Amino acid sequence: METRLGAARSQTGGREPGAGRVGKGGPRLALASAPAPSDVRAAWPAPSCARPAPRAPRRLPPRAPGSAGPMPAGRPGPAAQSARRPPPPLPLLLLCVLGAPRAGSGADTAVISPQDPTLLIGSSLQATCSVHGDTPGATAEGLYWTLNGRRLPPELSRMLNASTMALALANLNGSRQQSGDNLVCHARDGSILAGSCLYVGLPPEKPFNISCWSRNMKDLTCRWTPGAHGETFLHTNYSLKYKLRWYGQDNTCEEYHTVGPHSCHIPKDLALFTPYEIWVEATNRLGSARSDVLTLDILDVVTTDPPPDVHVSRVGGLEDQLSVRWVSPPALKDFLFQAKYQIRYRVEDSVDWKVVDDVSNQTSCRLAGLKPGTVYFVQVRCNPFGIYGSKKAGIWSEWSHPTAASTPRSERPGPGGGACEPRGGEPSSGPVRRELKQFLGWLKKHAYCSNLSFRLYDQWRAWMQKSHKTRNQHRTRGSCPRADGARREVLPDKL
Amino acid sequence: EDPQADSSASPLPHLEAKIQQTHSLARLLTKYAEQLLQEYVQHQGDPFGLPGFSPPRLPVADLSDPAPGHAGLPVPERLRLDAAALAALPPLLDVVRRLQGELNPRALRLLRRLEDAARQVRALGAAVEAVLAALGAESRGPRPEPAAAAVAASTASAGVFPAKVLGFRVCGLYLEWVSRTEADLGQLAPGGPA
Repeated sequence: METRLGAARSQTGGREPGAGRVGKGGPRLALASAPAPSDVRAAWPAPSCARPAPRAPRRLPPRAPGSAGPMPAGRPGPAAQSARRPPPPLPLLLLCVLGAPRAGSGADTAVISPQDPTLLIGSSLQATCSVHGDTPGATAEGLYWTLNGRRLPPELSRMLNASTMALALANLNGSRQQSGDNLVCHARDGSILAGSCLYVGLPPEKPFNISCWSRNMKDLTCRWTPGAHGETFLHTNYSLKYKLRWYGQDNTCEEYHTVGPHSCHIPKDLALFTPYEIWVEATNRLGSARSDVLTLDILDVVTTDPPPDVHVSRVGGLEDQLSVRWVSPPALKDFLFQAKYQIRYRVEDSVDWKVVDDVSNQTSCRLAGLKPGTVYFVQVRCNPFGIYGSKKAGIWSEWSHPTAASTPRSERPGPGGGACEPRGGEPSSGPVRRELKQFLGWLKKHAYCSNLSFRLYDQWRAWMQKSHKTRNQHRTRGSCPRADGARREVLPDKL
Repeated sequence: EDPQADSSASPLPHLEAKIQQTHSLARLLTKYAEQLLQEYVQHQGDPFGLPGFSPPRLPVADLSDPAPGHAGLPVPERLRLDAAALAALPPLLDVVRRLQGELNPRALRLLRRLEDAARQVRALGAAVEAVLAALGAESRGPRPEPAAAAVAASTASAGVFPAKVLGFRVCGLYLEWVSRTEADLGQLAPGGPA
């Protein structure tokens, strides 16, 4: 913190917050630099708990009427420790936090003014440390200041009179900790005489970017961004408020930090089919600010749980396909007439997900174009849009827990491995056998002749290719379109 | 000092187990008290965390530091003083927790530690009382009503720095007394001098 002497008028600070709302990006308002005589008070409570012991130098002056009283000075020496007495049985015991003076010395006390001031960053401060004492010669001579444990240069201090040392600080930086910077007045021997905590910061700026969602129409969670990235150097309290637009009183959200530092959760008693107004108020010692009001209907911001019971399985022996099935989220299953689903999948050792969009209102899908003999992770999520006729886009749920499955290994010969080719130019047994099995199934259905012939087989292969092309050209609602980057179509599971 | 001369320290098996258990608890709380003090000074800012920081160690309401002559007392007397101190600590820790709730509202771990400390020291105090009862050396006479509420009121009005110093003092006393209790119970635990 810079501590050069300030030429400008100094501020003695005050406990009242300064200016009110400050717009985002607007000019900073300066605190008025009027002195605050009401802030002048003792740093320490009147110590009445310790009675003077014969050798203990812990003599504490009586409390002056109407004031918090002076405070003892000095550090207790070893004699003070051994001569400690049990506290007196008074109905009101005050805390004596500053020590007994050293053995043989007087009971010096001191007061810092102002006490716990609040200041804008960049402002100046004049403080005083006034020594009182019941021994003659109590003087401010030799007093020095520390701020957050660091001794301040002597040129910043000057003696105002025999018992008062003044300090001038300029261009204050933001407080190092939210509990306030520790400004301490020390006696010549280093003992603590008094302390005051400085709160240097900025008033809050307008919070913005409020977003809310309701889980299954039962609650409402909102998140926002604090203005000026939240750094005010002071403890700033954020309060989420809400009310029904057309009637009702302001309510305050009570469950904070549920999904991050700037969030709040309203668990119950929310009305549907009627708009709410929601806003955030930020307050600290220097002022307050209020966000714009967000108006929403709960039904327009509904999300739900991820689909449960996601199962991924092989499709017979097909080495490039996996079948995905799931269940509609139970909380909204009676309302999900227009629900959308999305599937994403990735290879086990990859971070790149492929997404299958617009899996509309069905609870199964077949992924195709996959690599054989490969483990895939699959997730599904749901968007319950259109609930009760809402026209809004809806909010996607979280992804379901990943489900893994592997495609069958390829039996085609490949580089470095694979099944061996059979001799004599005969077609390889594995894939041909599979195809023939499928062909026979088709044959039973479409032909009256079950005799296997290669001509019929060729006709069947041609038909398969044609039907794949047709499926690719005519994407209809209710089918699973191809995933980006995937080899080709994702087949409806009914095939 | 000759603990063997104290005829009330008769080592019954269940008493030994109780002493061992209470000693272990005191050892655990000593570690927690060290952590609490470290966490506390971090949140108050320097000079609280600096080596050599030493505000005057005055008594706090009903509680003061162990006297230098404490170690020279008979073990049951030491344990009585330990029990009295442990009984005085919870309301003071509650006061510090409330004050820190205003000074450092976001310091959730500190606030939780203060809350836990009050609860744990209560348990340790009760355990020490049970050991004393088993030894036939219960505390004598009623304890004074804790003046913690008055401490809180006066400290809150005195300013932020005194409130910080109060917490520092209370956390320091907590550490001193639980470690003192650990040492005193060690005298009675199996393997100790008694």
